[in-house]
Amino acid sequence: MSYTFFPGCSLDGTAKDYHRSTLAVVARLGLDLPELKDWICCGSTAAHSSDPLLADALPAKSLSAAGGSTVAVACAACYSRLKTANHHIAGDAALRARVARVIGSDYDGRTPVLHLLEILCREVGLARIARAITRPLAGLKVACYYGCLLTRPPEIANFDDAENPTLMDQLMQTAGATPLDWPHKTECCGASFSITDRSIVLDLGNQILAMAQAAGADCIATACPLCQLNLDMRQKDMESSSGRRYNLPVFYFTQLLGLAMGCQADELSLSSLVVEPTALLAAKGIGR
Amino acid sequence: MSSVMAPPIEIESIGGGLAFEVQERSGASPMRCYQCAKCSSGCPVAARGDLKPHELVRLVQTDQRTAALSSRFLWECTSCQTCATRCPQQVDIAGMIDALRGMSRGAQMASPGTAVPIFNDIFLDAVRERGRIFELGLMMRYKLRTRRLFEDAGKAPMMLRKGKLALSAPQVGGKEEREALFGRAAAGGAK
Repeated sequence: MSYTFFPGCSLDGTAKDYHRSTLAVVARLGLDLPELKDWICCGSTAAHSSDPLLADALPAKSLSAAGGSTVAVACAACYSRLKTANHHIAGDAALRARVARVIGSDYDGRTPVLHLLEILCREVGLARIARAITRPLAGLKVACYYGCLLTRPPEIANFDDAENPTLMDQLMQTAGATPLDWPHKTECCGASFSITDRSIVLDLGNQILAMAQAAGADCIATACPLCQLNLDMRQKDMESSSGRRYNLPVFYFTQLLGLAMGCQADELSLSSLVVEPTALLAAKGIGR
Repeated sequence: MSSVMAPPIEIESIGGGLAFEVQERSGASPMRCYQCAKCSSGCPVAARGDLKPHELVRLVQTDQRTAALSSRFLWECTSCQTCATRCPQQVDIAGMIDALRGMSRGAQMASPGTAVPIFNDIFLDAVRERGRIFELGLMMRYKLRTRRLFEDAGKAPMMLRKGKLALSAPQVGGKEEREALFGRAAAGGAK
């Protein structure tokens, strides 16, 4: 299987740490992940809530350039937009023709799109990942947080169980950590309302962090730049607005996987995390 | 406990074209809804909105154009797709809301006070110009346009320190081609 990587806009900015840790992990696994040349923004919620045709055309423009490779995606929002465009275009000949006129070439909607979690769990496989684990995350209780758009809507995402996904849990278990059973795996973090109405994000984030804490989590693992940014960068604001104290580091799952594979803190950009994980990792004897 | 109740929604007329228009634009089938309210049970913002998702669907069914298109809920919905995922009647409520947002803006009825339409415009302008989003530039433009200059003023230095902000803007080639692409999309992909 050959892959081409669609990092998405966040991975060159606020989620640079997701980018670096992804590349560190795939390198340990000997997986080649060249970046898709000249990819453009998926359009995100701004496009689908403004213009449905543009919302399908922007992903189609990038996907049509993949040349038969499977497109590997890190961001849950990009993943959702790319898969939704595929679903629409492959299922509607008239729309396919309109998109072709917009992007200037015919795209059939059939370029495979997979999230990193799917590639690691299902294609690389847990056995091969287990062989790359050199420093198991023993004793680390992780609340795996998937957010909205990896699993929903299931007929388009076709990712995992829509209400109780387990791909990230399986990876964390393989890395030696203890994934927790908790009910807020797929609750919404409020996404870009962090900018337009942060009271929504503070409210939703408080519910997620409080539930993770009640489940006994040492930390949270995420697979989406917006989930991570909201729960990490706004955690202090959430504490102020609710009067609770969480101190829960919010990692990208690739950072935790990388630690278990013996990567250095620097390779994983652990210093980018706002809620400092140093004390937690030292207490668990991880990363030494 | 507040005992203030939301005012009742004035009914304009029963039966009409709103449901058909929504279906035409989004493919969603609002007439299938039988008001079980499962969507609203799982909606993360139902508790704060002026409407809950099942109420919005009912307004569409009964052709309440003003109430539906001017609802604040349209601009508080996070597009998390929980409603559409759980609906036993497979009403694509999230898709319906996207269509209503477009219609709301087209009719200049977007709820006052929401910054979401401005954010969406700035976001798409940036995609058209550069091909990708430059977060710092996006934030500056948004702050200038909404005059929310000092909101989160402490966040930028912290993010810079953490290496979470790119300082130079990306630029994907083919700007003219992209401008043309946006133009053709705005024209509906017509022949």
